[in-house]
Order: sequence, then C-alpha cells, then structure tokens
Amino acid sequence: MEDFFTYSVILGIFVATFKIATPLLIAATGELVAESSGILNLSLEGTMTLGAFTGFLVANETGNLWLGLVGAAVGGGALGLLMAVMTATVKVNQIVAGLALNILGLGGAFFWYRSVYEEGGAVAFPTVDRFQTATVPLLSDIPAVGEVFFDQHWLTYFGVLMVPATFIFLNRTKYGLELRSIGHNPEACDMRGVGIISRQYTAVIYGGVMAGLGGAYLSLAGGNQFFDDIVAGRGWIALAIVIFGNWRASWILGGSLLFGFLEATQLSLQASGVDLPYQLLLALPFILTIVALVLNRSRSQVPLALTIPYHRGER
Amino acid sequence: MSEQVADAPQDSPRPDDHEAGAGRDPLSMLFQPGAWRLERRLHTRPVYELYATLIALAITAVIIGLLVIIVGVSPLDAFASLYEGAFGNRESALETLVQATPLILTGLCAAIAFRAGVWNIGGQGQFIAGAIGTWWVYDTMPGLPAPVLFVAMFAGAAVFGAVWATVASVLLVRYGTNEILTTVMLNFVIDSGLSWLLSGPWQANDTPYSQTERMVESTFLPRFFDDSRLHLGFALALVMVAVVHFLVRRTTLGFELRAIGVNKQAASYKGVSVGAAIIAVMAISGALAGLAGAGELLGLHHRINFEFGGQAVGFTGIIVALVARLHPAGVIVVAVAFAGLINGATQMQVGTGIPAALVDVIEGVALVLVLLAAVACRYRLRKIAHHHG
Repeated sequence: MEDFFTYSVILGIFVATFKIATPLLIAATGELVAESSGILNLSLEGTMTLGAFTGFLVANETGNLWLGLVGAAVGGGALGLLMAVMTATVKVNQIVAGLALNILGLGGAFFWYRSVYEEGGAVAFPTVDRFQTATVPLLSDIPAVGEVFFDQHWLTYFGVLMVPATFIFLNRTKYGLELRSIGHNPEACDMRGVGIISRQYTAVIYGGVMAGLGGAYLSLAGGNQFFDDIVAGRGWIALAIVIFGNWRASWILGGSLLFGFLEATQLSLQASGVDLPYQLLLALPFILTIVALVLNRSRSQVPLALTIPYHRGER
Repeated sequence: MSEQVADAPQDSPRPDDHEAGAGRDPLSMLFQPGAWRLERRLHTRPVYELYATLIALAITAVIIGLLVIIVGVSPLDAFASLYEGAFGNRESALETLVQATPLILTGLCAAIAFRAGVWNIGGQGQFIAGAIGTWWVYDTMPGLPAPVLFVAMFAGAAVFGAVWATVASVLLVRYGTNEILTTVMLNFVIDSGLSWLLSGPWQANDTPYSQTERMVESTFLPRFFDDSRLHLGFALALVMVAVVHFLVRRTTLGFELRAIGVNKQAASYKGVSVGAAIIAVMAISGALAGLAGAGELLGLHHRINFEFGGQAVGFTGIIVALVARLHPAGVIVVAVAFAGLINGATQMQVGTGIPAALVDVIEGVALVLVLLAAVACRYRLRKIAHHHG
C-alpha cells in the first residue's frame, strides 16, 4: 500500500483523470445542448458506439484519423437526425424513441463491424495508428502540471474547451438563449415567432455529433480498435452527469473530472494489486453514479418542458 | 365533439371538387396547400394500431432486404434461410419456443412497468438476480423435498428479481432519482456481482472456469418432448401472461398502474397512492424478469456461468414489449417472432455468410418503425374543400 502513494502513481492518476473524462465531457456537453431544447436523448450509449465504429471504419479505410473524426461525427449526427425526426416532428415519446435509437445504434455498429471485418465467422480485430498526445511546447515542460494539462490528446483539450464554449453558447448568445427558452416554455417561444422545430433539430443533431466524437475518442485516441463493448456504459454515465450537473456546463466539467478521478484511482489500485475483489472496483463507478444522483437532487435548472412534446394549439 | 360537428359538412365533398381533382396528378394534389390535410383522429380504433404495426413490420422487411443486398446476398436466400432456421421444421420451431420463453417473461417485465409509466430498463439485471436467487435457494436449502424445492427456487428468483428492481423504485419514490439511469446502473452492478460470485464463493471446485457446480438432475424442469429442449418454463411464461393480463385489466392495482401511467398527478388526486403503486409495479416487474432467470437456469443451463447473462434477454424484452405495444398477449407473438429471428440467424450466418448480428439491426429498425406507425395511425389524411383560382 505504501508504494501506492508515490509521486509517479499519483501523477499518473491525474493524467488518466482527464483521459477518462474526455468522452464523458464531449458527450455530456452535447447532451446538455440537446436537453436544453427540451429533448432528452437517451440513445447516447448507442450513438457513442456507432460513432466509435464509423470513426474507426473511416480512419481504417482512409488511413486518416482526422477523416475518422468526420466519420464519427456523421455517424453520430445521423442518429441524432433520426432522433430529431422522431421526437421534434413525429413526437414519439422521447424516452421510447431514445431507447429505440440506442438499440439501433448498437445493433447497427455490431452488424456493420462484422459485415466489414468478419471472415469465415471470425473477426480479424484490425487496429489503427491512433492519435498521439498533442504536446504543448514549453508549457508541457512544467513539472507535473505540464504532464497533466499540456500533454493530452487533441480531443481532451477539445472536450475541456467545450465547457466554457457551451456555457457561453447557452447563456450569452441569442440562439442559445432561444434554445433554452424553448426547453422551458415552447408556447411562449412559438408566440414570439421563434422556430421551435428547426432549433430542436439543430440541438439534437449537435448532441448526436458530439456523442459520436466522444465515441471516436475511445476507438481512435484512447484505444486503437473497435469492439462491441467499447463504450461500456459511458453513454449512460454521461446522461447521469448532465442530471448530476443540474444542467450547468461548469458542473458537468466537475462531474466528469470527479468520475474520471475515481475511475483512474480505481484502475491504479487494481494495478497495484490491492487486496480487494476487482469486481467491486468494476462496479464502483456505477454505484457512485447512483449515489451521486441521490445526493445531488437539485433540479432547479432542469428544462421545464424536457420530454414534453410541443403540439401547437394543444395543452 | 364540437370539432367533429364543425368539420361535418366538409366530410362529403361537393361534386365539383371531384371533377376538379379528376384530371390532376395525385402527387401534386397531395402537396398543394389546402387540398389535403393531416389531422388528428378523435378516436383511434385498436385495430388500426394492429394494421399500422403490420405495415411497419412489412417496411422493416423491405429495409432489411435492401441491407442484405448491399452486403451482397440475395434477400430471398437470406429470408428463406432465416425462416428455415426459425420455423422450418419441428425441431427448429420447438427450439424457437425455447428461445422465446425468457423473452416472454422479460417482455412482460418491461410491458407492465412501462404501462405504469415507470421506465424499468433493468430487466437484464433482474433476470440475473433471479438466477442468483434460484441458485441461492438451491445452495442453502438442500434438504427440501422436490416439489417444495421447486416452489422455493422460483420464489427465490421472484424475490431476488423484485428486490433488485425495488432498489431503483425506492430511490425513485423517496428521492426522485431517475429510474432509467438507476436501473441501467444496477445492470452493470449485478454483472460485477455475479462475476464475483462465480469466481469466488460459488465457484465450482473442479474447474478453473468462473462457473457454479452443475445442479443435480432432480432440479431440472421437466421437458415436453424427448427430442426438444422445450421445458416447463414455457408453460409458466404463458401462465404469467394470463396473470399479468388479469392483473392489469381486472384488479385495483391494475387500474392504479394504468392510471399513473396516463397521468400521475390526476391519479393521486383520485386517491391513488402513486408511490405505493410504483413500488408494487416495479416489484412485480422485477419478479417477472427473475422468473425468466429461474426458467433458464432450471430448464436449460443447470449451472450459472460467465455466458449466462450474455444472451441479453433483458434488453431484448424491452424491444419485445414496445413492439407489442405493451399488450401482454402481443408479447407472446413478438417474443416468438424475435426468438425465431435469433434462432434463424445462426443458420443464416452459416448458410449465407450474413453476420447473425443482423438480428440486432432488424430489432432496432422494427422498433423505430412501429413507434412511428403508432403515431401515424392517430392521424388521417383527409381531402378538404378546394379553392379554385
């Protein structure tokens, strides 16, 4: 146990915290925008999985990781578009629509992966030359701080930057404020002539794109291949982080980093051979997510019209 | 009603409308503003919902056919081999019923909870809890005589499933914690719990694998035929469909759960104790999934191993329930159809090389289209009076 509290282990935990938080940050800030427009997109797990796959597929076929990110954005965005059609236009129950698209995203990724990479009943498990960390010159030479903050993947910087960007978008721009007012009171917005459906489409597709990019982090930067269970519950945890964060961008950063920190600590405890059943450590993130949801019951910022479809002329 | 009266004169178009429309291209009429109108039906007859579901499934077949063409296989070959593997002969048809057994129960698990507007996504975890409960009874009460042991094992499964669901419902009622997220999280938690049991306290002595001992033969559920694995669990599942149907339609709790499913606030004004109803419906829902776990363990596997939860019957049950539009009897039909797909897909993969994961896509596409169709049948396209010039 003494060798657990060494400089390098603790530094490693902080470095890993940001890596683990990255897909959560990207997906959760996207979901925050979608939910701000009053649409709860429960399909994050499936969307992230599809994005992880389409990103991997494009990167593997073209040999270009950046094109892979485009592929992930398109895959996630397509599922987001379908979600918008089902909820904003057709007004299917949002929970049911989200569950349905979750299944479609997962099934689509599983099937597509096998139809491309399966030969005679066995998958070859191809890999890509994944993203290397983008080292910031000079700043990364600062001891400890440099390694934690300035020697990460591009997608990690992107995920962290999306927090202030999402905050400014939702709170300081006209479009963002209109989006939030749709999420709170669509009738009033409709009377003011603010187009509801087009904004909901934009928000939900954006959420899908971000979930796709979050998934692509797992297959193109954090890891270098695709497999069925690659997302492993992170989509659901991202959804929980939005609720835990009380629909505020800054709290989403806190929630993602807290989660990343606990997960990183767990992983390095596991690696140091501490005498606990590893299954307990595997279950820990999910138990903690439940505890976090129970402890932080503040719902003051919830979009009031979340999950309630808007029908013009009906109450 | 007033809306209907106001619209009534337009229901019979004037003769000149017919003439005006006669020579026109129907498509352009459709897009001409004012010529046709999409409006909400005041009453949707249940049979429309059935038609809409069937149309949605037909469109699903077309989309999947196109997908199969893209993969490079003739859709007729694919569907023929899928059907052959699912219902082609007595053996495969009975095996399809074997696969349908847990799906009927997990389908009921989702259907009854969703009816009440409680989103239990934890059927998978409650299914595993049921298997754990069955094994626990088997392991701790070895001296029981056979009939009592069977009852005790099924009761153990139902109780464990119900308890695992109740964790989420208590958090929901007491703290307002979103039950969708808690039930999903609890699925992951019990996966780890099972893995710990199988590699620790319950691990069989004679193997390095994470699995329990094989159960003694006196605990096997009886089978209907010598040449098939179809076991008593299938009959149990059908009985539970009848029980759930009766419960939902004919009991006070059934009335209450339908009431809170429509409007929690109105139900509470009417004197329904919403919290108690949520706890009750989640416990029943979890118990149904737990019974599925007992049926699979006692009827098929006779030991719990790492692959036990791998069939994901809890998740498939959600799709079964939604495609069945939450009708208990519909759950049987959809569960058998999906079991046929799962069963036939193996043969299809061997015969045509299409990955069996096609089933996942079929399930997803079918669900999306059935949901869209269910909304569509609440509307009608109606021709309304024409304005000339």
